[in-house]
Amino acid sequence: MLAYLLKRLGLAVLVALTVSIIAYMLLYLSGDPALAIAGEGARQADIDLIRKTYGFDRPIIVQYGDWLLKLVKGDLGTSMYFKTDVAPLIFSKLSTTLLLALYALAFALLISVPLGVLAAIYKNSWIDRACLAVAVVGQAMPNFFFALILIMLFSISWRMLPVSGSDTWQHFVMPAITLGYYAAPAFMRLIRAGMIEVLSADYIRTARAKGLPTHTVIFKHALRNAIVPVVALAAVQLGFLLGGSIVIETIFALDGLGYLAYQSITFKDYPVTQIIVLLLSVIYILLTLASDLANAWLDPRIRVA
Amino acid sequence: MNQHSPLAASNFLSRMIRVVLASGCLALGLATTQPSFANKANDTLGMAYDQAPENIDPYFNNVRIGVIIAANVWDTLVYRDPLTNEYKGQLAKSWKQIDPRTLEFDLREGIKFHNGEDFDADSVVFTLNYVSDPANKATTQANVRWIEKVEKIDQFKVRIISKEPFPAAIDYLSTTLAIHPAKYYKEVGPAGMNAKPVGSGPYKIIEYLPGKSVTLERNANYFKDSPKAAGKIGKVKIRFIPDRQTQMAEVMSGGEDLIMHVPKDQAEKLKSLPHLQVLSGNTMRIVFLQMNTREGTPAPELQDIRVRKAIAHAIDREAILKNIVGGGEMINTICTPSQVGCSSDGAPIYKYDPALSKKLLAEAGFANGLSIDIMAYRERQQTEAMINYLQAVGIKAKLGFMQYAAMRDLARANKTSLTHQTWGSNLVNDVSASTPVYFGGGSDDVSRDPEVIALLNKGDNTIDPDERKKIYNKALVMISEKAYALPLWSLPVYYVANKDLNFKPYHDELVRFWEMTWK
Amino acid sequence: MKNNKALYVGCGLLIVILCMALFAPWLSPHDPYFQDLTYRTVPPIWYEQGTWLHPLGTDQLGRDYLSRLFYGARISLLIGTSVALISGFIGCTMGMLAGYFGGRIDMVVSFLVTTRLSMPVVLVALATVALVGSSMWVVILVLGLLKWDRFAVVMRSATQQVRAMEYVSAAQSAGASTLRILLTEVLPNVLPHLIVIATLEAASAILLEAALSFLGLGVQPPLPSWGLMISEAKSYMFFSFWLIAIPGTALAVLIFAINLAGDGLHQWLTPQERG
Repeated sequence: MLAYLLKRLGLAVLVALTVSIIAYMLLYLSGDPALAIAGEGARQADIDLIRKTYGFDRPIIVQYGDWLLKLVKGDLGTSMYFKTDVAPLIFSKLSTTLLLALYALAFALLISVPLGVLAAIYKNSWIDRACLAVAVVGQAMPNFFFALILIMLFSISWRMLPVSGSDTWQHFVMPAITLGYYAAPAFMRLIRAGMIEVLSADYIRTARAKGLPTHTVIFKHALRNAIVPVVALAAVQLGFLLGGSIVIETIFALDGLGYLAYQSITFKDYPVTQIIVLLLSVIYILLTLASDLANAWLDPRIRVA
Repeated sequence: MNQHSPLAASNFLSRMIRVVLASGCLALGLATTQPSFANKANDTLGMAYDQAPENIDPYFNNVRIGVIIAANVWDTLVYRDPLTNEYKGQLAKSWKQIDPRTLEFDLREGIKFHNGEDFDADSVVFTLNYVSDPANKATTQANVRWIEKVEKIDQFKVRIISKEPFPAAIDYLSTTLAIHPAKYYKEVGPAGMNAKPVGSGPYKIIEYLPGKSVTLERNANYFKDSPKAAGKIGKVKIRFIPDRQTQMAEVMSGGEDLIMHVPKDQAEKLKSLPHLQVLSGNTMRIVFLQMNTREGTPAPELQDIRVRKAIAHAIDREAILKNIVGGGEMINTICTPSQVGCSSDGAPIYKYDPALSKKLLAEAGFANGLSIDIMAYRERQQTEAMINYLQAVGIKAKLGFMQYAAMRDLARANKTSLTHQTWGSNLVNDVSASTPVYFGGGSDDVSRDPEVIALLNKGDNTIDPDERKKIYNKALVMISEKAYALPLWSLPVYYVANKDLNFKPYHDELVRFWEMTWK
Repeated sequence: MKNNKALYVGCGLLIVILCMALFAPWLSPHDPYFQDLTYRTVPPIWYEQGTWLHPLGTDQLGRDYLSRLFYGARISLLIGTSVALISGFIGCTMGMLAGYFGGRIDMVVSFLVTTRLSMPVVLVALATVALVGSSMWVVILVLGLLKWDRFAVVMRSATQQVRAMEYVSAAQSAGASTLRILLTEVLPNVLPHLIVIATLEAASAILLEAALSFLGLGVQPPLPSWGLMISEAKSYMFFSFWLIAIPGTALAVLIFAINLAGDGLHQWLTPQERG
């Protein structure tokens, strides 16, 4: 187990470093960063001064190394647009996005577990197909379209939910539905496949032969086993949800990391964009690491692979 | 392979359905207890706006909502009455012109800032000297760079000295030059002012969540001699909602009481809802199509006057104004018609003539059309309409739609070609706040015509009003003749509000919370 | 096969949309770019203000919606197919090499896949497009260069499975070159999985383009891409719902058809997994 842990950890660090290089290089996508920062009709003297002050005249490797070193020490840089430090800026918005992602994950599981179970029990029947159709519906249209339709129904017509903001849990219902629906089909298919496999296993037949009622069989035995790969997928999907919330946050005025990323890109605030890309990647890496380790702990065969 | 009986299966199914329904009803029940935070019952006005200011200190942001908040939370030395255009003393009791460059102000006594600090000459001296120092990088340099220095004469008397004779000084001092508390500002600077804003105005900020919302509460101790009345509505909560449709949904569902900048089409449809009122007014904001003719421009074809005139004739300004813009009026020179010193006498009027357009393009060597970039940051429909007109004469315009700051920086870095520009003159009702910004040789000037620059400088420094108007007119006509930019129209603004709100729109797009009441 | 309604319905719908795209110039009653500001937001024929001159109404600049719908099919299909092809090519090459050769090459490819998966796609696409400039081809290129991971993963495991088969070792001992084996033995056996992934990635690319257009960084006007049409019609959603509903439905049908066809194909080509 320890060997596996070290190996996975090492790999995780390597991936994180590679992503950090890519995130840093975003600064150079538009050409000369000194020019971008100097902005306002700067003269050559100003640009040169900026180049010297920010250290853009050093070799890229040195610049990157310096940035990385500062990162590790906790200095995440300064936002050029907000003119404040990046760290407090990002962490003030992170909680909203995390909350949104968790609610979305909860919703995804809420609909995909019953759908997956139903589809497995009645597999290959019309119920099976209907469940898949319901799960897939949220993926067939652009999420901002879906979001606005939900607003039309729940806020304007039925006045059941508030339109935008992040004050109460009701504010997160529609955003969670819109964001979470995208993850639902993957979960549903996984649960369905897992349940089908488990339901046909010997010990299930034994339980039935013993006369245990159906729902006991399903919930106590089958689902518990089928759920294991779902946990792994949930960790991975959480990572995706965190990174895919830009549109939802814009529509529902959730002032989170996604919207901050969008602003930083629009305002060419590179220090912020770099950190957000890196942060989301690191979170994803940690989540997959955690889920891999959990899997390995539960299923020893994986550790040898 | 399934070995449960059909009966057991249907039992199970029905149980599942019952569970789902029960939890669904529970969820619905919980969902109806929504918080009502913005309405008459709470004496809280809810307003939504799209762009949040990057810093709430009036000198460090450039967005309309920043200007609105500034007028409600801070005071200026002088106040311009929006209806009579008369200048009244606000923080100052009276003033007189000592010499062409010096204005002396007698300040009011007994005024306190929201944090209890007293207002006196030090406040004026420190604030204005600080923001006019270029080292402090105030965002709206145009508003402050005319100031040379401010001197304290005694505790309630100051002198403001401008670099050159500046007739528009009083107007600038009446609009965006907010006065900060000296001691506090010296201590915390713009960053601290952003974290915890302090002013002296009819409303004070009790909560500010950057990017999310700012909550104002009426200042019960607001000084009675101010031309701005003390606020009547108890609280105002401004929420930043980036998406226009979400704003509309909020006002349709009763979540917010006031939104502005509603597109004309939507505003007209919202009229039909019984709980809403739609108000519109013309504004000081003008729209024009800038053409980058500077040296090093990414579109050197624009340096040929025939190409510029071709672009001017290709666009049907009247059709766009009538069908897409709505209210507003056509302009033929680059200044707001109401501004002192603005005129369009003698300026050429570019009629819609696509055939002439094509002819001019062919003469300039572009018989097969040309490709060009066009940047815009708002009124996207107008940009698209213009793009389509340009396409019809063979000019393929590629749209770059972005935030204002990004577009401004691109223009300053000489990276734009055509720019669909708008300008509100920061509420200053003098032509020196509009035309010279874009043609006076500063960083936003993409034409850099030395003759025009010289004329505008002269006008800025001429005291005699008639002489001034003549000089400006010459510059304005020259700009139009050389087609450096195509004057388009002035923009109307549509407001949609709760029917229970007494609200009056003004020409300067300033939302005056202190005047508003509930019906 | 006779039960494979999914395949029939899915492919049928796709063919209809393909025809719309191919025959757009002949099917369209008007020029999709022609704006007439006096005829803005005319509703479609089933409203009382509708007119047969514009059966699906006009948009906010007076352009005929039916024509834009047909031409829009081209853009959406072009984006979906191009991204699927580019990402498919990159991913398959990487996956095949990793699965066939194993060892170090496998390690490198797996590492690249993990790195790619760790990056937030929408953000990186957004940042790149913002910096490089947005146009249809930039969007296609950026999405194609980002979405190859699933191809690589599937190709890799499928190649590994095929490689262990007897006919591959037979071919090897007969002296066939690696490339030849990959192309003639491995690829045909892996094709079914590939096609399914391709359909999923095409659908996802089309939706991503809509999201980018909503954020202002996708295809640029006046191009009639369905994603851009939906994003532009958003402003009129509450009072002229058809403006967003028509391209929205078209897009949903396209995505649905792609998914259905993919599912059907999967079922047809792998009958043993149906039970």
